[in-house]
Amino acid sequence: MAALPRRIVKETQRLMQEPVPGISAVPDESNARYFHVIVTGPEDSPFEGGLFKLELFLPEDYPMSAPKVRFITRIYHPNIDRLGRICLDILKDKWSPALQIRTVLLSIQALLSAPNPDDPLANDVAELWKVNESEAIRNAKEWTRKYAMDN
Amino acid sequence: MDSEYQDADSDMDCSDIDIVDDDYYNDNDDNDMDQIDPLIRDPEYFVYDCLTEEQVERLLNEKVEQLSNYLRITPSLAKVLLHGHKWSVSEIVNKYRENASALLINSKIKPTSVVHLQGTSSKYINCPVCTVSQQCDKFCSLLCGHKFCRDCWTSHFEVQINQGISTGISCMARDCEVLAHEDFVLKHLTQSEMREKYQQFTFQDYVKSHPELRFCPGPNCSCVIKSPEVKAKRSVCEYCKTTFCFKCGMDYHAPTDCQVIRKWLTKCADDSETANYISAHTKDCPKCHICIEKNGGCNHMQCYKCKHDFCWMCLGDWKSHGSEYYECSRYKDNPNIAHESVHVQVNVSAREALKKYLHYYERWENHSKSLKLEVETIDKLRKRINQKVMAGLGTWIDWQYLFAAANLLAKCRYTLQYTYPYAYFMETGSRKQLFEYQQAQLEAEIENLSWKIERAETTDRGDLENQMDIAEKRRTTLLKDFLDV
Repeated sequence: MAALPRRIVKETQRLMQEPVPGISAVPDESNARYFHVIVTGPEDSPFEGGLFKLELFLPEDYPMSAPKVRFITRIYHPNIDRLGRICLDILKDKWSPALQIRTVLLSIQALLSAPNPDDPLANDVAELWKVNESEAIRNAKEWTRKYAMDN
Repeated sequence: MDSEYQDADSDMDCSDIDIVDDDYYNDNDDNDMDQIDPLIRDPEYFVYDCLTEEQVERLLNEKVEQLSNYLRITPSLAKVLLHGHKWSVSEIVNKYRENASALLINSKIKPTSVVHLQGTSSKYINCPVCTVSQQCDKFCSLLCGHKFCRDCWTSHFEVQINQGISTGISCMARDCEVLAHEDFVLKHLTQSEMREKYQQFTFQDYVKSHPELRFCPGPNCSCVIKSPEVKAKRSVCEYCKTTFCFKCGMDYHAPTDCQVIRKWLTKCADDSETANYISAHTKDCPKCHICIEKNGGCNHMQCYKCKHDFCWMCLGDWKSHGSEYYECSRYKDNPNIAHESVHVQVNVSAREALKKYLHYYERWENHSKSLKLEVETIDKLRKRINQKVMAGLGTWIDWQYLFAAANLLAKCRYTLQYTYPYAYFMETGSRKQLFEYQQAQLEAEIENLSWKIERAETTDRGDLENQMDIAEKRRTTLLKDFLDV
């Protein structure tokens, strides 16, 4: 395998030295492009108190291509589907090589605070989020308790 | 459009091709008759040119040159403007006169706000993408001022081009929408195959953004059809002979319009299999009309919804069956009275809708198949003519009219095939009645023609040519009344 680009080395160092509050990202022992991520549910969101596991992979042409990120912990959210895939513009067409792992993870955390049911990935969740927000939030809290706590 | 522009700036010459087109369509003071006449005679009349890649490049370059001369900008930037404005020089020039800065910002040439140059005093800069620190002269930026090192620009472009993106590549900075123009991209592309790929993709984008140009949809054909009128008319590629609708690029579909034919084809693709299955394997419950699929051998059915007992064969009530079970396998003039009562029902059941669809679909399919068979007909004709000529019955030239007849037959059948989707989506009313009347007339004449061609030895040439004329008249009459493009 080719040597790790300087950019990835620097990003990893900085993630370790100055971690983002509420987010931990640790590279895998055997693959420096694969990160084990834990995002804490933001305060005042239905995900508060939960610890959400994600996986993040830097593809060969990173940072020219976006990192691949996926939720491993199940989560009830209109922009995240059953397989944990995330609908977020900066992971797709709005990706810029100037963005970093930390900015991506911050955006994901922000997505938990501000779900966007108008641009859904999980259709049934988005539907409920639009017609009956309080019930959707109840479900999200329930799932957070069930899947994202005490693990 | 171009002519307005020419008035304003007489020093700018339009290309020859443009002038021809402009004269043809915009000057309505003289020779009016010549222009209107063909359309009255032939509702499918359509003017277009078939251009090679080189001809298209020349045509586009002329526009680029016009604009870059006028605005005193590089051809590379002119291309960005033209691509974003449907290649209308006049529109760009008008916008430029109104508000040059807004034009450049909206076209993503200039940023909404320019980045202030950071620490220009330092000789070394840190590239935000690869984090490597290098000398200033190793860095480049677009008009937005976001500086990145050359290597990063190169890999950015390569990744984008490999995804098929060319005219839409933007600056690497976050949320910066400024587009990388051709010169800037080519300057950073080191591999010749990448440059070729890039130029090929931009060319495709340019043609697609040009309202008067269409790529020929024929396989491996690189021709471009040009017409000043964007209409759903028949265009035929001169090189590969592919026939298609100029507006939507699908198979030519008069009298049906582009949207309707798309709806129809999608419906056929989605529904045909299901529809055929439903029609072949299910029946409606005679009492509650729910759709039932038979899943066992026994013909004594009980509807799972209303619990009605009936016979699968005749749809009659099972109670009256009893020992006379085999009654229903006997042919009767009016075998299923139960069936009749279904039809009387006013509510249009799902099966009614299905029946309607299948009615049109079967005819559409049938004509499509007939059309394919016409190829064989022509082969047979050729053999028959050979025999005739050998037997001393006329010369090869004498029999040529049969080919003309076969070609006309194919043309008529083609139009007839495309009348079915049109009728399917038509609302019931007097117009639909008229349409279906004309459709039936056309169909009858086509069958007559087909019959006469296949038996040409027994009919004389005059009769056949008369029949050709009638069929073609029916076809054009229908198109004149219903082709609305």
